[in-house]
Amino acid sequence: MRELTDSTLDHLRAVVDLPDLTGTRYELEGEIGRGGLGVVYAARDQQLQRRVAIKVLDSTLPPLRLEEEARVIASLEHPAIVPIYETGTLPDGRAYYAMKLVAGQRLDRYLHAQLSLSERLRLIQRAGEALAFAHTRGVVHRDLKPQNVMVGSFGEVYVMDWGVEGVAGTPQFRAPEQAGVAGGAPDHRSDVYAMGALLQFLLPGAAPRPLRRIAAKAMAARPDARYVGVPALLLDVQRFQDGLAVVACPETWWQQSRRFAIRNQVLLLLLAAFVAVKFFLFFLRRL
Amino acid sequence: MDPDTAIGGLHDRFPATRHSLFEAVAAAGTLPGDALDQVIALYWKPVYKYIRFKWRMDNEAAKDLTQSFFVSALERDFFQQFNPEKASFRTYLRMALDRFAANEHAARNRQKRRGTVPFDALDFDGLEAGALALADTDTPEAIFHREWQRQLFALAVEDLRAHCQHSGKHLQFQLFAEYDLAEVERPDYALLAQRHGIPVTSLNNHLAWSRRMLRTFLTGRLRGTTSGDRELRDEMRLLLFIEGGRGQ
Repeated sequence: MRELTDSTLDHLRAVVDLPDLTGTRYELEGEIGRGGLGVVYAARDQQLQRRVAIKVLDSTLPPLRLEEEARVIASLEHPAIVPIYETGTLPDGRAYYAMKLVAGQRLDRYLHAQLSLSERLRLIQRAGEALAFAHTRGVVHRDLKPQNVMVGSFGEVYVMDWGVEGVAGTPQFRAPEQAGVAGGAPDHRSDVYAMGALLQFLLPGAAPRPLRRIAAKAMAARPDARYVGVPALLLDVQRFQDGLAVVACPETWWQQSRRFAIRNQVLLLLLAAFVAVKFFLFFLRRL
Repeated sequence: MDPDTAIGGLHDRFPATRHSLFEAVAAAGTLPGDALDQVIALYWKPVYKYIRFKWRMDNEAAKDLTQSFFVSALERDFFQQFNPEKASFRTYLRMALDRFAANEHAARNRQKRRGTVPFDALDFDGLEAGALALADTDTPEAIFHREWQRQLFALAVEDLRAHCQHSGKHLQFQLFAEYDLAEVERPDYALLAQRHGIPVTSLNNHLAWSRRMLRTFLTGRLRGTTSGDRELRDEMRLLLFIEGGRGQ
């Protein structure tokens, strides 16, 4: 048996898994990334003369897994969820689906130190809206993490890799009930946990305390101690942005007064000035 | 029936279905001979090179230790003790090799053993040039991993060669060998097609078929040395993983 050289081995490793698109309308361009169920490639649709992304199912998984994922995504028409174009089977029996090719970056690569807090919170809001919408359709993501969020070239946000039954999640973003260390079946509150972990991931080192508390509440070990749903979490983030008290961070009487003073400082200054003038005039009259 | 329309051709021979390591052990109560053959065929080179590199042993000592390791593995119910919940079989084997080699090395009283393990056909001498050419910057673990990949692909290429010979697909293998197994420079597609008097589209189709079959044989070989679908999937990823993001 012939010993393979390093260069031959590398070549074989690169070509052996490439999808054979013979008989389809697509021409392969190259690999984009690897997901939970398979590999995603960039390809060119020769009929419509446009670039698309093609997800090819891992050959060791049954084709039904990818078809199920395609059906789930097709049922979710939302600006932050990438649309599916078609599904099919390659000559080697592997299932695939074609979808819109997003020109952009994964969230973990998009994130950099100079990104403002408001921009970070905008990303959370957009991703959360997609999740909240999916939950209204009875779909749970199960594997939300920065690698599954794309930021397009115009700043648009897409949530990718919609999970299907049996997806185990990723440790840092996985709720305890998904990891099997807590009772109960995973449900939409598992996504609330992942949203909290995503918020924590997005926050800069010196993040305001209320935001850290929001992330912590979303990541509570017990599902019933978390926000009831993603909209409640997003509302709390919005309350922070509006300068209001957040549910996750109850305030003392003193903190409430301080917040009131900060929010109404102009009014309070005018009031103070009015009282000062009144006093001044009062004493002036007595002289 | 038109030979070209039959799946794989009229005289095609489909790859034999391989059982997972666990299925083989569960069915026979011990590791059956053909399953053992699969494990040895895949791992003897990685084990040998790993020993040569990590313990800086000469050819004879490394060869002896490689044989002793597999014989010892058989004697100690090594395969029955494998727990896929803890590690992949590849990792389990390498860690067992570490323990075994350390013990043997320290004791320095290794006894040459002969057993039922079929080592006669293994070309240890042919490995020497490659073993000596290993880069000093590589770790023993990286070498073990690389040799595992190399041996797995080499076995799958041999399976493909045998399959093509048996099913009369000589042209397909010839094209695959000239293009995908080229060691120096890959020929231009148009030139290669012209040399064999076929259109480029046929060349594309033949290469796609060969690669598809190669992946089938790779999967079969890996299935025989892994515990089940999950480990198989993880090992396939590791085998083919090329640095890149998850992205879309």
